[in-house]
Amino acid sequence: MGSITLMHYLVLGALLFCCGLLTMVVKRNAVGILIGVELVLNAANVNLVAFGRYRGAGIDGQAAALFVIVLAAAEAAVAIAIFMNFYRHLTTVDVDRGDLLRG
Amino acid sequence: MILDLARCMAPELVLITGATFVLLAGALAGDAGRSLGRRLALATTAVALALVLTAGPPETPRNLLEIQASGLSGCVRLIGLSVGLLILLVNGYGPTPEERCERLAMILYSLAGLLLTALADDLVLLFLAIELVSVPAYVLVAISRGDIRAQEAGVKYFFLGALSAALMAYGFSFLYGATGTTVLSAISLRPEATGVRIGLLLAFAGVAFKMAAVPFHLYVADVYEGASAAVAGMLGFLPKLAGLVAGIRLLMLLPGEGSGAVWVPPLPVFAMLWAVAAATMTIGNVLGLLEGNVKRILAWSGVAHAGTMLVALLVGPQTEGGPMRDGSWALMFYATVYGAANLGAFGVLELLEAGGRPAETLEDLAGLTRRHPWAGLALVVCVFSLMGMPPTAGFVGKLWVLAAAFSVGDGHPQRTAMLVLGVIAAINAAVAAAYYLRIVAACCLPPERAPLTLRSGTPGLRLGLVACGLLAVLPGLWPAGLLPWTRPDPLPGGWPTGKGIHAAIGSGEPEGKAHSAETGRQAVCPSHAAAAMPMSAGHANPAVELVFNPPCAFSPHGPGPR
Repeated sequence: MGSITLMHYLVLGALLFCCGLLTMVVKRNAVGILIGVELVLNAANVNLVAFGRYRGAGIDGQAAALFVIVLAAAEAAVAIAIFMNFYRHLTTVDVDRGDLLRG
Repeated sequence: MILDLARCMAPELVLITGATFVLLAGALAGDAGRSLGRRLALATTAVALALVLTAGPPETPRNLLEIQASGLSGCVRLIGLSVGLLILLVNGYGPTPEERCERLAMILYSLAGLLLTALADDLVLLFLAIELVSVPAYVLVAISRGDIRAQEAGVKYFFLGALSAALMAYGFSFLYGATGTTVLSAISLRPEATGVRIGLLLAFAGVAFKMAAVPFHLYVADVYEGASAAVAGMLGFLPKLAGLVAGIRLLMLLPGEGSGAVWVPPLPVFAMLWAVAAATMTIGNVLGLLEGNVKRILAWSGVAHAGTMLVALLVGPQTEGGPMRDGSWALMFYATVYGAANLGAFGVLELLEAGGRPAETLEDLAGLTRRHPWAGLALVVCVFSLMGMPPTAGFVGKLWVLAAAFSVGDGHPQRTAMLVLGVIAAINAAVAAAYYLRIVAACCLPPERAPLTLRSGTPGLRLGLVACGLLAVLPGLWPAGLLPWTRPDPLPGGWPTGKGIHAAIGSGEPEGKAHSAETGRQAVCPSHAAAAMPMSAGHANPAVELVFNPPCAFSPHGPGPR
């Protein structure tokens, strides 16, 4: 067994990324899709912290990951508000039910 | 240090502070609070614009927050705030008046994000700035109307936007990993490395979403249709320009290829952007031809325009042969003119009501020019400008982009590809005329169904439409009036290009210094300091003169403080 290298973290990040993309494509529930978005953002975080540890000088990577977390929180707040409005009109958060706009 | 930073970021700080106060004004009861909010929003933007116009040379504080004032940021500030003022005027009177202040505040935040995108000198700040453009835009779409369609548009816009943001963050993490630093001006990417390729591909995916370029264009028509018309007019300018600026910032991280003073991105990036530009123009126009809803037609036409702007982005900053060959300058001019004409066209739709609901379809517009000649004139003028009909401003913009694409020098390694792209752009300009003319024809038809009425009590909206109409026409008659304001000078370090470019900077310097001395003012970038106006205006009119003597092609301040 070798020690854990940068590549291990990158593979973990790539797996998270793929899981997130898959969730976004497969899920029809708005909250489920939001979870997919969070997974992809966290893939970026894993990458940032790992690169910061192995490649960067200083704490740039860690700081960047913190900012991405803050952005994810802000996005989630906006998303939940939008879903609330959607739910008030349709009493569901199934995104396939929103089909009034052609396309 | 903090004072330096505050001075350097003054317009952005004013915008964000103002936006917060506009939100507070919205919490005040009744109409008084709302009209206070509207006045406050307009005043905020006007103050920020005044700060930009009176600013001295941009200073570059280091080590605190990674900010870099440059010719690009000066240019983006000017055109962003000017068109932003029009956007606020047009958006001040939408449906759901109880949410007016929130709407205006979101526009101000978005505008601040656009300005920061051009200013950021750090990967993280660049990412956050792009998201500061987008997140308020999601809110804007969802609150722009009370009905279910706006909610559906908001959900669709949010999900695609969040996906692109996440892709971009993942891509940026690879760019950081490849270089070990987040400071943009310290990054020089080697495009042959796998990590850099993945990173660039994902980052450009995010940019393509903001610009509404293929393959991230699918949301456009639904979002524009679901949002109120004024918000759709805003979506055609702020996110698009932010995407373009972010694209320029990313391209500047790459080493340039090409001999002499010719700027060319590396081949893989060039090929990707070439394909995206060609597909965006063509697909946008084909989809536009198939629609019957004016908002959807304008949305798809916005996709096609994004493709044309990508052509200008691909030509890039060329220093030899005069401004007519400079793709970046053409890009900024085009984006300004498109933003104003698009906003004007959507603004007219915002003003019109067909039988008590907003006018949207081609049939709704029947009889417009007879019943309301002024509104009809505004719509026709803006649509002609979007089409590129002479003598409107859109014509000069299209001509300039095409001329820049056709006149790439012999030193350009992909000269043939560039010429082919120019031909595709020209064909697309002709195809687009078909659906624009359908809108014009619909306005001129005899009135049929529900009577068209103008919404009353909307003086600011009408004023905004007049301004949009003027901006859609006047630069076509007198291009020299707008030209110098849209000039993006390179960063102090110059564009990242072959060694020829740096020689060009050196040769440009004496003229610039002479000019500065002449005006008795340290003009740092012509688009930034009004004092530099005469220099560019002297080179006059690209619509008339196709080839210039090489002017002071680069920034007068030379390589700068870095």
